[in-house]
Amino acid sequence: MALRQAVESRFRAGILSMVRRTSGPLLALFALTIGFAVAESQFATLANLRNILDSSAVPLVLSIGMTFVIRQGSIDLSIEGLMAACSLVFALVVANDRMQFDLGWLGLPIAAALGAVFGLANGLIVTRLRVPSFMATLGIGSTCLGIAMLLSGDQPPLIRDPALRHWGLGQSFGVPNLALAAAACLAAGFFVEQFTRLGRYSYVVGGAESVARLSGLNVDLYKVGVFAFAGLMTGMAAAMESARLGIGHVEIGAGQMLGAITAVVIGGTSLSGGSGSVLGSAIAVLALAVLADGMVFVGATPYMEKAIQGGIVLVAAIVAGWQVHDRLRVVK
Amino acid sequence: MSEERVETTAAAVVLALALAFASASPAAGAQALCEKSQIRLVNSMREIAQPYHANLSKGGRMFARWAGLEGQYVLQLNQGDSDKQIALMRSILATNPKCTVFNVEPNADVVVKPMVDTANQTGAWIVTHWAHNRGMHPFDGYDHWIAHVAVNSEEVGIAVSEQLVAAMGGKGGLVALQGRLDTDPAQKRFAGLKSVVARHPGITLLAQQPANWDRTVAFPTIQAWLAKYGDRIKGIWAANDDMALGALEALRAAGLAGRIPIVGVDGIPEAIAAIARGEMTATVSSDAFYQGSIGLAMGVCVLTGQVPPPQTWAKQQREYYLRTTVITKENASRYATEPTVEGYVDEWRCDKLWSRASGPAY
Repeated sequence: MALRQAVESRFRAGILSMVRRTSGPLLALFALTIGFAVAESQFATLANLRNILDSSAVPLVLSIGMTFVIRQGSIDLSIEGLMAACSLVFALVVANDRMQFDLGWLGLPIAAALGAVFGLANGLIVTRLRVPSFMATLGIGSTCLGIAMLLSGDQPPLIRDPALRHWGLGQSFGVPNLALAAAACLAAGFFVEQFTRLGRYSYVVGGAESVARLSGLNVDLYKVGVFAFAGLMTGMAAAMESARLGIGHVEIGAGQMLGAITAVVIGGTSLSGGSGSVLGSAIAVLALAVLADGMVFVGATPYMEKAIQGGIVLVAAIVAGWQVHDRLRVVK
Repeated sequence: MSEERVETTAAAVVLALALAFASASPAAGAQALCEKSQIRLVNSMREIAQPYHANLSKGGRMFARWAGLEGQYVLQLNQGDSDKQIALMRSILATNPKCTVFNVEPNADVVVKPMVDTANQTGAWIVTHWAHNRGMHPFDGYDHWIAHVAVNSEEVGIAVSEQLVAAMGGKGGLVALQGRLDTDPAQKRFAGLKSVVARHPGITLLAQQPANWDRTVAFPTIQAWLAKYGDRIKGIWAANDDMALGALEALRAAGLAGRIPIVGVDGIPEAIAAIARGEMTATVSSDAFYQGSIGLAMGVCVLTGQVPPPQTWAKQQREYYLRTTVITKENASRYATEPTVEGYVDEWRCDKLWSRASGPAY
């Protein structure tokens, strides 16, 4: 009984703070959607809604892992390299035109597990060797990119598994399959964040690492766990994108890292750690997907989209820091 | 006609002139500049993860093996970093510069000048491809810049666009995926498309967007256009095959693969396979195997004295356009398998170095 009450109250408190923190990105999501719908009549159609969900799927899965990493006060710059390596391995272990493996659906857990292993390496280098996460993940990412190039050789492997291709391109109940997979990952991310030690302690570690250490928390263990979890999500995202495009590709993650960090920051996670939720990041991913899709609709170049995306990040950062700013001024 | 070549009459005339000049040269009269054992062959390019680049290096290695120089073949990859491309060149030239030949796929137009300057200063030999900054030419005092083998990207754009317009039956709307707008091939291929669209009043360009040569960017762009224009899209033009293949997967997701014609450029194996299956209409190949080897062949001919020094060559032998090939369903089978050394040996011979020239590029 007491447990249930505790869970309920935590859930309620969590929901409340989340609503407060996600109001910014929600507002951006609605404003962008309404703006584009007014500008282009074809924008607010079911077909286009499906496009937006489909193109959000991979960034969403990446942003879940990134939220955990940034919340604990670290950063993960290995996403693009990790995606490349996981994409190549995924493509080579399922039915493909280069190698004889045909592991089918097993490819998904293999790619995710490989991502987790690289994430684990990130975490161990950060905690054991005391290398700042910025450098450690950059190094692992670069290593992974090299591995991916070796695996790619001179002909990127084409995925020939019809079931996986259908999963990557098709829909179920009118929703793109990849969007459903991303929703499942989001649910898992939300559960880990709200109801497990890994998730709860990642707030503590990010908020006050020294306090966490003094109170006897095994900080390093949870940090490594978060990096591994982020790697798992990255591996999953790589498999999803590969199934969609039908190829294992070195450049499959190009541009994804900045997108994920942007979504996490817009979604209300502080870059200094200690706060934020995967739900906020998910809403921000949707807002960015609406922006990207809408810009194609109105015929603006992607360069313009990047500029506007940058503007939104700045506004989000300013709004997020406003309270602190105010307080500092009072203290002065 | 099973194969169409992008060629002009003027080009044919110049080609004839060039061949006449070549045969008139005292081929055996020049002196060897290097011992064969000293010659070093360097292929400098972006990376080898893309099939186009992989084939560049395969072509270079194929030539080196044929020439008995495989042990002296060096591959330099700059990973898209122009400064690195120049730095890699300078570092290898610390030793034995005078017997080193560079075959360069420039990362950007601007790297050509520092690279040819380096060659001139150190005594190394260099052949460049694709495009370079305006206002400089190998024959303007760059004695070690053996030649610039350009690709006429506007003609490539025209050729592939005409295939698309024909497949659309001369009418309907098309959408275009551009390459990176700051590159010469992206601008000129698109200029080729625009000139073809202007000639066909039944064709409208519904929308165009740069997708950075990248299939992961092309995919959602095509999805958005399908939502916006629906069945008004009768054709898809892409500035390279990678984006064309991204577009193809977006069509597949919408159940439209093979029902809307798509064209690309580069002639990568995956695109040729898609053409053979009827899911793509056409691509244009500049033949990466040839581009990866011809500069090395020129260098070896110069260094062994089998041709006179480049400064004595005619202008159109030092800066010319490469003949390109349009690949469609009719001839796709011929390009479906990897080429062998036999296909190139005749064109590597020192009296046949210009057999694919299609006109001056200055």
